[in-house]
Amino acid sequence: MAVQYIEAKDVNLTFTPPNRMPVTALQGFDIAVGEGEFVSIVGPSGCGKSTFLNVLLGLIKPNSGEMAINGNRVSGPGRDRAMVFQEFGLLPWRTVQDNIALAPELRGVGKRQRRELCQGFIDMVGLSGFEAHFPHELSGGMKQRVGIARALVSDPDVLLMDEPFAALDAQTRDIMQAELLRIWSEAKKTVLFVTHQIEEAVYLSDRVIVMTKRPGRTKTIIDIPLERPRDYEMRVTPEFNELKLSIWNQLKDEIDTQGGPQI
Amino acid sequence: MNQAVEQAAERAGKFDGLEAAMEVDELTGLAKFYDDWRRVILGGIAVALFFVFWEALLTWGIPLNKFIISKPSLIFLGLYRDMESGLIWRDLVVSGKPLFFGFGAAILVGVPVGVVMGWRVRVGYSLDPLLTALYASPLVAIAPLVIIFFGVGISGKAILIFVLCVFPFVFNSYSGVRSVDRLLVNTVRSFGGGELALYRIVLVPTVLPFVIAGARYAIGRGLIGVLVGEFFAASEGVGYRIAWYGDMYVLDRMFGYILMLMVIAVIFTEGIRWAERTAFPWRVGM
Repeated sequence: MAVQYIEAKDVNLTFTPPNRMPVTALQGFDIAVGEGEFVSIVGPSGCGKSTFLNVLLGLIKPNSGEMAINGNRVSGPGRDRAMVFQEFGLLPWRTVQDNIALAPELRGVGKRQRRELCQGFIDMVGLSGFEAHFPHELSGGMKQRVGIARALVSDPDVLLMDEPFAALDAQTRDIMQAELLRIWSEAKKTVLFVTHQIEEAVYLSDRVIVMTKRPGRTKTIIDIPLERPRDYEMRVTPEFNELKLSIWNQLKDEIDTQGGPQI
Repeated sequence: MNQAVEQAAERAGKFDGLEAAMEVDELTGLAKFYDDWRRVILGGIAVALFFVFWEALLTWGIPLNKFIISKPSLIFLGLYRDMESGLIWRDLVVSGKPLFFGFGAAILVGVPVGVVMGWRVRVGYSLDPLLTALYASPLVAIAPLVIIFFGVGISGKAILIFVLCVFPFVFNSYSGVRSVDRLLVNTVRSFGGGELALYRIVLVPTVLPFVIAGARYAIGRGLIGVLVGEFFAASEGVGYRIAWYGDMYVLDRMFGYILMLMVIAVIFTEGIRWAERTAFPWRVGM
């Protein structure tokens, strides 16, 4: 097997919430993603899938394990990765333009250059004309468009997406999924996408990783051989539903055996 | 039959009238002016009525006893006389200086203390009970003590004002820092932002509106500090003059000074409100 683009081996993470027993979030977690691939991670709530994304982003240090992107060891936040957050994470006091320009600003790029750099991405995510708006003036879908543009502007090799559409209503989510596929085909990034929605995972991905309940490990990996470009009609084909069902069958044992309230 | 036609015509006429009324949907002239300024107009009318009622009551209602009460016409005249003589401006300068220094020192000390309390949990937990107790107690009670320690001059008054004003700045900065959104911190860090970037991009914009709101509370307390300081020991200044006029039973002049203080307080607080709306447009949506 060739050297993978994203490679994580035997990642372990235990953390202790204040005044609680230690929690093992990840135990021997492995992942391997090829360049340009779109891979989704699904798993029961609290299985550590979002936590893993934060570990890979470099915000949380694992207790042990090796992670590398394109052969470079991950030891903290870096330019090769950018995250799209579930709750957007937009700075409320900054306009769309200045939110998107965050990464180049932190790198010390001048104001005019930032503008030029951002404009293409503002157009790409369909926010032309909203450059001077503040986040509170935008709908949820538009906020996440800002989040996606902000991540792309930093020109990462890997786009990490942590349930990016979970805070959106169903119709907006459908539209944003189609938009993401379009943007992905234009921007040519490797995407690691965390979701709890099986249909979303099938629709978007080349492969879907199903995680076990906590402590999270990879349970199985399911290939999604659907043709690209994909469209909405594809979601009602028998083939699509077969894939959904096979993921559900893997996932449901993890949820069934959980028992008791989930955290 | 004729009647029916007439009725129909009448109805049509009414309909025309209704249509005409609907065309005025886009307000013009006086109506638009009223619509835009409704809050100011209605509030202003209430204030004017208050003065008219006061004036009328003491002109035709109860006989005016100048040793107990005054009435607006005499108050405005007295205010005019004190402006003409320049007395009021001198007093304002005398009272303004300690307010400026005391208030300024309260910002310079209060904000950093509050920020450190929010940023360092142990400092916050340690200082919170003590400072809360001081904030909650009527600190004007220590005014005589402050005057004894620091004298009747500008420093004594400035320190009293500082003591009264510093707490709103401390506690507002404290809660400002504690309301910093973890997600925004993580976002900036994930894009490579260090400690300094976090201060500039997340901390300052979060805390600043809290500080300005604190200034609104502090200014009211500061004005109290000026007055109380000058009530106790002074030979000039707004507070001294109010006490002096009161002792002399020149009540129209005394009320004139009080009226001026009210106007100043309104200008300060409304000015800060306006600054908040202009400087932090995103707060409108929060």
